Amino acid sequence: MTKTTSTRAQTILLVEDEAELANEIKIELDRLGYLVRTASIAEAADAARVGDAAMLIMDRIVFGEDSLKTLEVLRKEGVKVPVLVISALSSIDEKVHGLKAGGDDYLAKPFAMVEFVARVEALMRRLDDVRTTKLRVGDLEMDLIEQTVYRGDTKIDLLPREFKLLEYFLRRPGQVITRAMLLEEVWQYHFSLETNVVDVHISNLRKKIDARGVHSLIVNIRGAGFMLSANA
Amino acid sequence: MREFFRSSAVRVALAFVLATTVATTAVFGLVYLQIREANEARNRLILEDEAAKSVNHSVDELRNAFEVRMTHDLRRLDYAALFGAERKLLFGNIDALPAIPPDGKSHYVTASRAPGGDNLLEPAVFVARERPDGTILLLGRSLLETLAFRRIVQSALATGLAPMLLLALAIGAFFARRASRRLTTIHDTIALIMKGDTHLRLPVRSRNDTIDKISRDVNLMLDEIMRLLVQIKGVSDNIAHDLRSPLAVVHAQLERGLESSDDEQLRAVVKQALSHIDKAMLTVSALLRLADVEYGPKSSKFRSIDLSAICTELFEFYEPLATSKSIHMTLETQSPVAILGDGDLMREAVSNLIGNAIKFTPEHGTVSVSVTQEDGRPVVRVRDNGIGVEPGERDKIFQRFYRTASGHRVPGSGLGLSIASAIANLHDFDLRFDDNDPGAVFEMAGRKK
Repeated sequence: MTKTTSTRAQTILLVEDEAELANEIKIELDRLGYLVRTASIAEAADAARVGDAAMLIMDRIVFGEDSLKTLEVLRKEGVKVPVLVISALSSIDEKVHGLKAGGDDYLAKPFAMVEFVARVEALMRRLDDVRTTKLRVGDLEMDLIEQTVYRGDTKIDLLPREFKLLEYFLRRPGQVITRAMLLEEVWQYHFSLETNVVDVHISNLRKKIDARGVHSLIVNIRGAGFMLSANA
Repeated sequence: MREFFRSSAVRVALAFVLATTVATTAVFGLVYLQIREANEARNRLILEDEAAKSVNHSVDELRNAFEVRMTHDLRRLDYAALFGAERKLLFGNIDALPAIPPDGKSHYVTASRAPGGDNLLEPAVFVARERPDGTILLLGRSLLETLAFRRIVQSALATGLAPMLLLALAIGAFFARRASRRLTTIHDTIALIMKGDTHLRLPVRSRNDTIDKISRDVNLMLDEIMRLLVQIKGVSDNIAHDLRSPLAVVHAQLERGLESSDDEQLRAVVKQALSHIDKAMLTVSALLRLADVEYGPKSSKFRSIDLSAICTELFEFYEPLATSKSIHMTLETQSPVAILGDGDLMREAVSNLIGNAIKFTPEHGTVSVSVTQEDGRPVVRVRDNGIGVEPGERDKIFQRFYRTASGHRVPGSGLGLSIASAIANLHDFDLRFDDNDPGAVFEMAGRKK
């Protein structure tokens, strides 16, 4: 991963016309060490064009204007900045529309701040290299071509879905991953659940990959979700 | 006035008048031409025939015949004369030979004074023929009759056209006025509807013409818009109502927190308030979701989906949860059960049913999922032997926010079954409850066509 040293390119541009929500988002992201600047749709687009934005967070409708149109134009011009679309339009159709227009993620309002932050962090740390064939955290190694997982010298047998779940974690070490993210990305379920099914899947996965007497690789983050961490 | 002519109705009326005029004149003209043509052809033939025959008669015979013809039979010949050498009149009723060749063919001669003669020749058809003795026979027929006929046709057209034009104008104006009156009514009604008289509808008569058809369509559209308006109002009323109570609770808690001087107590209050707000947000999301399914446009994503595959996938998703609660879970599918639908929504509906079943089944219970075709209808059944639903509550469980007395201890929005039911409905499926004694069976079945 090439990290840009310029602080300007680390700026997250926030396009949101609800001043109070914008302020809360700003405070929260500031707290986490990101530089955040609120902007109009046009300002955000211009900044993205010249590489002055590390990420765009765009409300779907800003002062009556649909920001997806601008996003579509940006994508056509080849601007690759990560974009998180937040919107009160919550149907699956709208979400698909948002992603098709070039959004990297789409979060429906109202959302919990932990969910929002997790999405932002996931986008800020774009996947290193999608073509990687081996993923490794500590002594856990996954071979994407052979479809095998080893913990040290011990081979671990995983069901296809468990493999996918673990791959999702291994690609995002040290990142907070919410239940909703897992549901959407691993199972492609775009609805909320009133049960703790995801937790059960995680705990089953833990049983398979964790060594005896050692702290689990996947830890619970209270009120938010999970995180894969080698030195937990 | 300009507006009057611009109105399409008036334009149609004027075009109607113009078309009538053109058509009538054309018919008259055609009839006239046809008759004249036939008449002339006959006359020419007779003249040429007579001239040919007279070649064989002697001069005296001709003189006699002329006299008889001229005095008794005037229907066929108007002019007959015989000219001698140097074109001098021997006898007959024309002074001079017209300027036509003596070739036995008929020629049309317009009204002109015959050269050297005194009498005025009317338009006529003449035949001149040179006889073997060098004399020239001239026969002719006046075209006065044809001209008179033309005048009759012309005057008939003139006298007939005027009233016809008036009639066409009157009819056109009548239709134009009627159409514009109806359009004005429609215009006025729409203006009233836009002002807020939403119960008004466009007038529709029984005759079913284009305007009626469009009016009927507009009325149907208005009905649909009104239906949606009422439903939107229903949804927002519900949302307002269901958010009021958690908001009131949060309000009370925060007030209590404000008065407390103990930091620890304050933290506890904030935590409680947060969890209530989380619940409220969950409710808002669920309600929006429900509104989406119930009132949104029928998804454009309907395609062939396999219920067996969806249920198998959800079975695998939920089985670990069931196992963790020591619940035995079984799956029975006939592969594949294809329906037309939205896969995401169907997954959500079945997920709600299985999630509920696991939620309300105690340890060591059984949850079974089955997908079958019965009488050609696809049927998904989720059966459990858990706490079931009390007979008095069975018709209420699909209502929004209804939570059974025994289910109150289990967390949830109270909207899961409403959403499942709305999704079923969208797919022309019925979601029904049955008693499993003990436990519940939720059956989602395609409606009979």
